[in-house]
Amino acid sequence: MPTKRILIIDDEETIQTVVQFGIKMSAGWDVLTAGSGAQGIQIAQLEKPDVILLDVMMNDMDGIATFKALQAHAKTGQIPVIFLTAKAQTGEKRQFNDLGVSGVITKPFNSLNLPEQIAHILHWVTF
Amino acid sequence: MQTKLHHQQQRVELFSDVMLKIRQSLQVEDILQTTVTAAQQILQADRVLIYHVLPNRTGKTISEVVLPEYPTLMHLEFAEEVLPEHYHQLYAQGRVRAIADVHDPAAGLADCLVEFINQFDIKAKLIVPIVQTLNVHSLGSSPHNSQDDSQHISQGKSKKNSLTHNHLWGLLIAHQCRSTRHWVEFDLRLMQQLANQIGMALSHAQLLEQWEELMNTRTAELTEINHNLQQEINARMHAEAALHRGNEFISVISHELRTPLTSLHSALKLLATGRLGHLSATGQQMLAIADESTERLVRLVNNVLDLQRIESGNLVIERQMCHAATLITHAVESMQATAQQSEITLVTQPDDISIWADPDYILQVLTNLLSNAIKFSSPGGKVWLIVTRCDSSPTLPHASVPEIVFRVRDEGQGIPTDQLERIFERFQQVNAADRKKGGTGLGLSICRTIIEQHGGKIWAESTPGNGSTFTFTLPAQVRAGHTSNQQC
Repeated sequence: MPTKRILIIDDEETIQTVVQFGIKMSAGWDVLTAGSGAQGIQIAQLEKPDVILLDVMMNDMDGIATFKALQAHAKTGQIPVIFLTAKAQTGEKRQFNDLGVSGVITKPFNSLNLPEQIAHILHWVTF
Repeated sequence: MQTKLHHQQQRVELFSDVMLKIRQSLQVEDILQTTVTAAQQILQADRVLIYHVLPNRTGKTISEVVLPEYPTLMHLEFAEEVLPEHYHQLYAQGRVRAIADVHDPAAGLADCLVEFINQFDIKAKLIVPIVQTLNVHSLGSSPHNSQDDSQHISQGKSKKNSLTHNHLWGLLIAHQCRSTRHWVEFDLRLMQQLANQIGMALSHAQLLEQWEELMNTRTAELTEINHNLQQEINARMHAEAALHRGNEFISVISHELRTPLTSLHSALKLLATGRLGHLSATGQQMLAIADESTERLVRLVNNVLDLQRIESGNLVIERQMCHAATLITHAVESMQATAQQSEITLVTQPDDISIWADPDYILQVLTNLLSNAIKFSSPGGKVWLIVTRCDSSPTLPHASVPEIVFRVRDEGQGIPTDQLERIFERFQQVNAADRKKGGTGLGLSICRTIIEQHGGKIWAESTPGNGSTFTFTLPAQVRAGHTSNQQC
């Protein structure tokens, strides 16, 4: 099975870095990074990752708008998206679910745990 | 005969007009003037006047209609003697005085009065009292036995403590100056009716005045109440806004903290793997300190947000059908790493029991309890997480409400009996050592709020040196028609 490829879209560089290292170190998956919604959409269309980690709170184009744009494009509409958010209440989670997001990972997280969390959310049989 | 009838007819018509006019007007002056005018017209008297009796027994003419050839009595003041005491009483009782000829000794007028009369060339008089029936409310005093009243009335003084009281307000007087006049029944009746109307009008006017005063007082009161309410509303709005700002502030801050905390937490964990380079022993010690501290920060930030929601009443429990087994498995999974680090074995028995609860919050409670149990156990020990269904409630022995009971048991140091309740309070920790173990002191109080919001109970039992058991219950029944949202 080819290695999984993850795209992280977050305007915080430090988050991009720790996510990249954490996923690589614990699961050996490839990690692509994008610093904005616009950039993320471009990369997603080009690279077609297996899953997109999307920060909800970004300054220019926020997570929800980015998500809707991804869904709208034929090339990216099928890629599962997981929101990264500080909000954790059931009501808010349900809001995200209603949008069609595959899942939610709350901050703060330990990036070493991300592969496991992703696999759990997407029902991947990996470990 | 024809003329007489015609006159009668005229009089009756005039009279009706007057009555209508009187009833239509609320102005006392108008009423008085209309009355004297009408009386003069109908009676064809030379002068008709209204004499107002003042409290000190003097009086004066306040309304008059007089034929131009005769002098006016308007505003003339009369001394007390004009109306002697016994006359006053008689008038107060409603007695009419008809004097066909003032110079007739049988009329019995006092001498000084006769002099006065001659001055003004009055030959005949018809005097009808204007009586006001006052009640206690208009005089503002306590009620009295009605038997006393009859005595008081005859005294003619306006006693302030009678129930109803006939008060002589004034006199309606008709004068004939050009000749003597034998006043007939019609004349008397007319004057009496007019006088009654005036009496009523005066009472009405008084009532109206009282009403207006009451209105004004009431309006003033209401205005003040309104003002106070408005102030209170403003104060509350301010308080709410401040609270809202406070909440928002905490929300924003907590949110802002989470991103750098994520980076920090993850980076330290990555370093701690050892795969990014070798650290000296001291270096590793430093790293461990940084790592632990960050974990505490993470827990604290999570707790603070929960607490803030609880405090501001925003904790929203969304219940659904969930499986106790799933929740237990999740809780254990998330605590597995920590347990292994402390060399604790987690033992579970995930029975397939359905519960009606908010899974995220129950999971939070379970992980919190497990975390505590691990923290306070010695290496090599065990921690049990068990769920059972009790058909007779352990908390309400006499109730037949079935409950789901969760228990977390450890073999750790135990908790002193006097602390068993206190640990559920905010910022309470068993001892200083607890803080060293990285507690925030918030976890159990949040757990209690969550469980109580679900309608359950949570408590601890312990034997010092022999471990503790934390138990919480959730009601098993799903009540019909129960909404799935419950705001606390």
